[in-house]
Amino acid sequence: MIPNPLRDPRDRRLPRVPEPCALVVFGITGDLARKKLLPAVYDLANRGLLPTNFALLGFARRDWGDQDFAELARDAARNAARTPWREEVWERLANSVRFVQGSFDDDNAFDELAATLDELEGSHGIGGNAAFYLSIPPAMFPVVLKQMQRTRMAESTPDRWRRVVVEKPFGTDLASSRELNELVDSVFSAQDVFRIDHYLGKETVQNLMALRFANELFEPVWNGHHVDSVQITMAEDVGIGGRAGFYEKTGAARDVLQNHLLQLLALTAMEEPVEFSADEIRTEKLKVLRAVSLPQDLRTFAVRGQYEQGWLAGQRAKGYRQEEGVDPSSTTETFAAVRLGVETRRWAGVPFYLRTGKRLPRRVTEIALVFKRAPHLPFADTDTEELGNNQLVVRVQPDEGVTLKFGSKVPGSVMEVRDVSMDFLYGEQFTETSPEAYERLLLDVLLGDATLFPRNAEVEASWSVIDPLEEFWAGSTPEPYRAGEWGPRAADRMLAAEGRRWRRP
Amino acid sequence: MTTLWDTTGSAVVKELAAQRRTGGAVLSGVALTLVVVADEDRVTEAEDAATVAAEQHPCRILVVVRRQIEAPVPRLDAEVSIGGRLGPGEAVVMRMYGRLALHAESVVLPLLAADAPVVTWWHTQPPSRLTTDALAVIADRRITDSTSAPDQLAALRTRAQDYAPGDTDLAWTRTTAWRATLTSAVDSVAGRRSDAVRVLGGRVEGQPGAATARLLAGWLSSRSGADIDVVQATRHAGDTGVDSVVLQLDQDEEVRVHADRRGGAVISQPYRPDATMALPDRSLGDLLGEELRRLDPDEPYAEALEVTTGVTGLAGRAAVRAHVWVDPAEQDGHGASPASEDDVAEGSPHGEAPTVPLDSEGADEVAEHGEHDTPDPTAPEAVR
Repeated sequence: MIPNPLRDPRDRRLPRVPEPCALVVFGITGDLARKKLLPAVYDLANRGLLPTNFALLGFARRDWGDQDFAELARDAARNAARTPWREEVWERLANSVRFVQGSFDDDNAFDELAATLDELEGSHGIGGNAAFYLSIPPAMFPVVLKQMQRTRMAESTPDRWRRVVVEKPFGTDLASSRELNELVDSVFSAQDVFRIDHYLGKETVQNLMALRFANELFEPVWNGHHVDSVQITMAEDVGIGGRAGFYEKTGAARDVLQNHLLQLLALTAMEEPVEFSADEIRTEKLKVLRAVSLPQDLRTFAVRGQYEQGWLAGQRAKGYRQEEGVDPSSTTETFAAVRLGVETRRWAGVPFYLRTGKRLPRRVTEIALVFKRAPHLPFADTDTEELGNNQLVVRVQPDEGVTLKFGSKVPGSVMEVRDVSMDFLYGEQFTETSPEAYERLLLDVLLGDATLFPRNAEVEASWSVIDPLEEFWAGSTPEPYRAGEWGPRAADRMLAAEGRRWRRP
Repeated sequence: MTTLWDTTGSAVVKELAAQRRTGGAVLSGVALTLVVVADEDRVTEAEDAATVAAEQHPCRILVVVRRQIEAPVPRLDAEVSIGGRLGPGEAVVMRMYGRLALHAESVVLPLLAADAPVVTWWHTQPPSRLTTDALAVIADRRITDSTSAPDQLAALRTRAQDYAPGDTDLAWTRTTAWRATLTSAVDSVAGRRSDAVRVLGGRVEGQPGAATARLLAGWLSSRSGADIDVVQATRHAGDTGVDSVVLQLDQDEEVRVHADRRGGAVISQPYRPDATMALPDRSLGDLLGEELRRLDPDEPYAEALEVTTGVTGLAGRAAVRAHVWVDPAEQDGHGASPASEDDVAEGSPHGEAPTVPLDSEGADEVAEHGEHDTPDPTAPEAVR
């Protein structure tokens, strides 16, 4: 950013505010745009984090005027905004809301979009800066990107920046993600591409770095000498909702394992970055992802499952194959668990157990470091019967926080040691409601801060982990599990094979 | 919620612990202790603000109301609540009568959250030398509000003379929204030019008597090196005393930001249409919440205060204060000579300094009487 005499690095009351710019959203009528994006834009405006000159442009096929769009945007923002609703903030924002109607293969529509951007440059002083948010199915990417290339909307020049935001899935395997990356990178330059993984916008995930690198206490034990194993869980209690079409082709491994879980693994296992900057952090994450190894014995150590009908949270839940739009003999997995290794000096021999699934008993995401048992226990065997392994758990959602589990003496005249947990609840120390992940990430895009966005090489490295799994699973039938259970039996056997068991999150 | 009438500090500590035990899964983490010093007639206002702030930063709220210093018998009334009307956390409202009011710290010290920062906020006239109030000495951050003084500029000068790193003032907090808007406006010019901008001069239009307007001008001067002053605005300026700000930039350009009185600020700059940004009126609780966000010394405030008042060397002062005992009863009588606490003679008309409460309920008996029993004539074995 250009130096400003009023800015003072010591003055942390002043917010980071992006330069004047426009946010262009493709697929503005979609679910995500309505539930997440528009409220996030409002929340940013309400917190005074949008620049003086800002415009919001929606592009979709519907036949709408600016007014209709403003109406929809207002309702969407109002329904899901995190901060209190202030009509005057919205009114101000609504003045700079535009809608362009057209389909993605319509040259005229894109010419109009380009013209609207130029016009906003004059009327709203956006300085030619624009971020394009592709809230559309990946199949549409080529068309839209070609259009942007044709109208020269994607060119960053020294006077202005143009950025693009891409959502997962980033491809469906290594080959397709390479293709997608090449395509996006050919239209936008690599540093202007922001791949959103909203998990990385969560406060706890960022806190993982603070926890590890700002403290003396944890880093010395953060390695294979002390850590027995790592369990990373992302469980959802919901089914596939209305996304059958998408899910049938994707499955749990591609939907969650490839991006969220591997990113969490990378943040947990990475070395200390040389400095806290986008480049350095991504470099360290990439090193870890490249060091990830798959087990030899995939039959035991890679499990996939599919939920059958059952009971969850007091309600009857349909089986996956009975869901609307799902093939009755579908072999798509809704649960995936795998044992990975990280081939570095720090982590040699430490298994990383990753699991994700739908229709599990509760919604929870956590990273658990399970420590080795103390090498020697000077107590009688009976004293420590109930003592387990020490654990350090980073809870990503819900109840963001950190839990430390350790042994403690049971009060009384007998020496008896039992596990207790020490809880740090984020919301108790800082209830300053942490911003919604999208809010944070959107702001980072407008500021040009890529720290929380995975780089193309990371995406490709992640696919190289998933591809062999998918290959191994191809043609097989997933193990069934009842809705409301913690996954199929095989997942338990996978840990039991090495004398461990899953932590119940 | 429990109210304890005519009680002692140790009873309050016990009650707080008891409520925590029975309260079940209440807030267990406490990031800091907020000590609020308020007058009886403004205590509700202070409680409301502290509640809002506590929702943003979980803290233990200790409200100290000093009443009737001249009352002959010292007395403490306390209201202890957890997760009640004073927000999600623990709160104690204490009313102190008589000489106890001068020793408020004796009740407050054992109530502070262990090893957590202490913030003291005066929602009343703060002492002109904070060092004379023990509640300031124990605090890591001290919040005053010069805008509530009858003469705001004199209040600012007092604060500058008394400044120590860790002091802050809500008049400064009130400038934040303006400062953010102005910074953003200059960013906007710099962005258009793709080149650095220099601020050559300007003025703040508003009420020259308003502390917030003065601090804003002082900050602009300290950042730009130009001399920026407060001039009387033609229309009545709002809460902050700032109506608009004009900045003269290099290349003969000018940026003007003025409050639109509808929770927004209109920014006028060359080659760009006017733009409006949010500049909401902020509640006291919101301001207090901002203050609790950072607890380290606020250098930009010190610099702005220096320029505003002409008092220099603020940042270099020692951050720690030592308590100086001043007896208000003596001050008006025969010239304030700082006296030590021991000087209160027995039978002095000011009454005795409170001592350890006679009620030793909950005290650690082993610590007080030693581990070995002294022969107790009433003990059964002695009777034998």
